[in-house]
Amino acid sequence: MNKRESSKGEESSKREAKGGDVIIEVVTRLMVPFIQLFALYVIIHGAGGPGGGFQGGVIFGSSFILYAIAFGIVKAGNRFSESANTVFFSTGVYIYAGVGLLCVILSYGAAQFLNYGFIPLTHHFEENRALGMDLVEIGIGITVMAVITSIFFNLAWKRENEGGKKAGEGGGEGRRQAERGEGRERREGRERREGRERREGRERREEVGG
Amino acid sequence: MMEWLVEEVFAKYNYWISIVLMLIGFYAMIAKENLVKKIIGLNIFQTAIFLFYISLGDIVGGTEPIVVEGFEGIYVNPLPHVLILTAIVVGVATTAVALSLVILMYEKYGTIEEPEIIEKEREGEV
Amino acid sequence: MKQLSAVALLFVIFLGSLFVYVAEDIPAFGDPNSAPNRYVKLFEIDAAGLEGDLEQGVLPASLVDDLEDEIEERGFPLPSGVVRVSGKEGGEGEGEGEGEEAEGAWEAVIVPAETEQHFYPKEQKYYFIEKKGEKLWVYRYAPVKRYMEEGPNETNVPNMVTYILADYRGYDTLGETTVIFTAGVAVMLLLRRREKRPREK
Repeated sequence: MNKRESSKGEESSKREAKGGDVIIEVVTRLMVPFIQLFALYVIIHGAGGPGGGFQGGVIFGSSFILYAIAFGIVKAGNRFSESANTVFFSTGVYIYAGVGLLCVILSYGAAQFLNYGFIPLTHHFEENRALGMDLVEIGIGITVMAVITSIFFNLAWKRENEGGKKAGEGGGEGRRQAERGEGRERREGRERREGRERREGRERREEVGG
Repeated sequence: MMEWLVEEVFAKYNYWISIVLMLIGFYAMIAKENLVKKIIGLNIFQTAIFLFYISLGDIVGGTEPIVVEGFEGIYVNPLPHVLILTAIVVGVATTAVALSLVILMYEKYGTIEEPEIIEKEREGEV
Repeated sequence: MKQLSAVALLFVIFLGSLFVYVAEDIPAFGDPNSAPNRYVKLFEIDAAGLEGDLEQGVLPASLVDDLEDEIEERGFPLPSGVVRVSGKEGGEGEGEGEGEEAEGAWEAVIVPAETEQHFYPKEQKYYFIEKKGEKLWVYRYAPVKRYMEEGPNETNVPNMVTYILADYRGYDTLGETTVIFTAGVAVMLLLRRREKRPREK
């Protein structure tokens, strides 16, 4: 038991050196919901003060990016499903164009695309316009959030070369992979195993020596 | 000479700053050899143009364009703000696609320095 | 390559020095009379010999006919009424030799053809006419004036930028959302991967 506890202490210090710091992780886990709440506030209160759809969408997307930076891209990629994100791409545009089409339908065929005065939520044309604008801003915010997050994850994820494609001189990873034909999983697993063996070997030598 | 300096340079300092930034970005796009530095130059150029356009609509003594009841002053022209919001989003889109192209080029050639890429293409290695 | 840097530097310095000549025509920073904030000048009309009527604040009929001819020539909509603006001092500067008396100013108003629309105001300020010396200068209000003045009444929204983006220029914002959607799709197409992301064990 003692050996395993002490090995865990060394492992955690090695992990800190690689960058998974405990303080950053805890603070990020606390802050991400508040960032998202602030983003929702900026989207909805874009009518009363500075803000709007684009601004709130970017803030929402930056909360996901903060999570990926603090926890590592692999862990963030596990929590974030790409297929659900792709649905959000088109949901925002659908809401926007849908509101416009609704206005055409509700105006009994008089071609009033995106004239929010016809949506019968209240009795005044002016207040209807304000509510229509809020709906449209929510749609914009959803699309911008999904796009910013998806762009970040696509750019930051480490890519594998397929099969034995040559990657030129400088692409060291590619060449190694092409020569040995190894996947990234196996290489990571092997490195982890080797690291653990080296650490345990060092501990045993310390025990014997000390 | 002094009059020209005061009238043209100090009274229009925002345009001069914007021109200097534009030229810095333009130089970076042309003369730097690293592909990522060229993209950074593109972004600096875009930012300078946004500054120029928004500062065209400023009024001395004007306040932000949010209507407050009972305010008897001047509001700043809101139309440049609106057009630049759209332009910022277009800038983000352009930068994202450019960076993904740089990633693909790195995988194909193994380097992102332009002279080395030209050499490899010329020698027909790839 | 040092040669490319030197050539680029010379080119950049040359372009920067060209701006010295352009800087005269650009209005000063924060000028309230600059064209984006106020007017765009359309044309001038000679108004010599009609000063008696003009000082009383009435535009005589012959002058109005001339005005409408010129406006139609240029393809702008015809005004339906001309209103004297009271208390305004007119545009920038004074005419030569006119002293400090307040110049007259008029606003010309347009009524849209279909008056059944109850979502847009029935009248809309369009032209601004001002007397400078012997001539009448006709300006057109920048469209921003309409957004700034009629906006808070038509839409109950305080933020000018938001209601211009989402209401008056809502169609452009739909195109904008499509642009950012296309960027996301483009990055996804370029950086596709064939295998699923490996999960940490």
